[in-house]
Amino acid sequence: MKFKQQDPANLQQQTTPMIDVTFQLLTFFMMTLKISSPEGDFNINMPPAGAGAAAVDQLFPDIKVRLIANANGGLANLRLGERSLGNDALCFQRLNDEILQLIGQPGAARVKELEVEIDADYNLHFENVVKTIGACSGRLAKDGKTVIRYLEKIKFAQPRKNPDV
Amino acid sequence: MKIKSHPMASAEMDMTPMMDVTFQLIAFFMMVTNFEQTQADERVRLAADALAKPPEVKLAHELVINIGYRRNKEGNKVDDQPFVFVPGEELRIPEFRNRLKQEAQLYQVKAVKLEDVTVVIRADADVPAGQVQEFIQMSQEAKFEKFALKAKQSAD
Repeated sequence: MKFKQQDPANLQQQTTPMIDVTFQLLTFFMMTLKISSPEGDFNINMPPAGAGAAAVDQLFPDIKVRLIANANGGLANLRLGERSLGNDALCFQRLNDEILQLIGQPGAARVKELEVEIDADYNLHFENVVKTIGACSGRLAKDGKTVIRYLEKIKFAQPRKNPDV
Repeated sequence: MKIKSHPMASAEMDMTPMMDVTFQLIAFFMMVTNFEQTQADERVRLAADALAKPPEVKLAHELVINIGYRRNKEGNKVDDQPFVFVPGEELRIPEFRNRLKQEAQLYQVKAVKLEDVTVVIRADADVPAGQVQEFIQMSQEAKFEKFALKAKQSAD
């Protein structure tokens, strides 16, 4: 019996369907890609609504940070207790330095009991509150990754009245 | 004269390098694509802070709330008052009070304790701080206890 020899060129696998699927996958991933910057959390401690007797057992008084707004919602003055820290770009850095001076040694047992109360004007832009929380929470170490924690307990004072109402 | 016919050379292009690059591209896009369904609303422009680090442990139960402004294509505000963005709806902050109570009931039906639920607030940088505080108060009235404020991670 005579066998017909097949041309070896015809033995090549068909790659066209694979290429089709591959390009479809590529298109799908390109279309669904959303580039977003990473987000982080700041945990806050809020006393239950209506509870006013929570401060009775406190060993250390709250560190009070007052944020005063101007008419446009920008920061007019940042105060730590009675001390004014200004409203320029470095005021949050000054707050960070002051907090470090107050607590002395970050991570000490005494520091964990300390609490910050943020008292912001009603119309103040929220970004100032976030920066204040960041300045009170700690700072980044020299490696730019490790967080040196200052204060972990952060709460808000009772909201001030809306000046427009 | 007799012309000798040569067998025709294959006209097919070599696809191997192209396939290699394509697979590398697919691998790249698969790595950077976030398949997790986030409840973040793109209209909210978060405040930025260097200390805003993603949580090390994923929250067991989280209720994500987006508070922001209606904006035009240029990104300018078209309404002075902020909204709470929920899928398919935009509600004023006081209008969200009943929705919060409903959410609380929903968790209770699912036998989830409300003290285990964290209300994650994604508030726009320009939202008045007083309105965020009012929202927190409303959440407390609905018996939520834990809160987290979202911020964008900044380089400085």
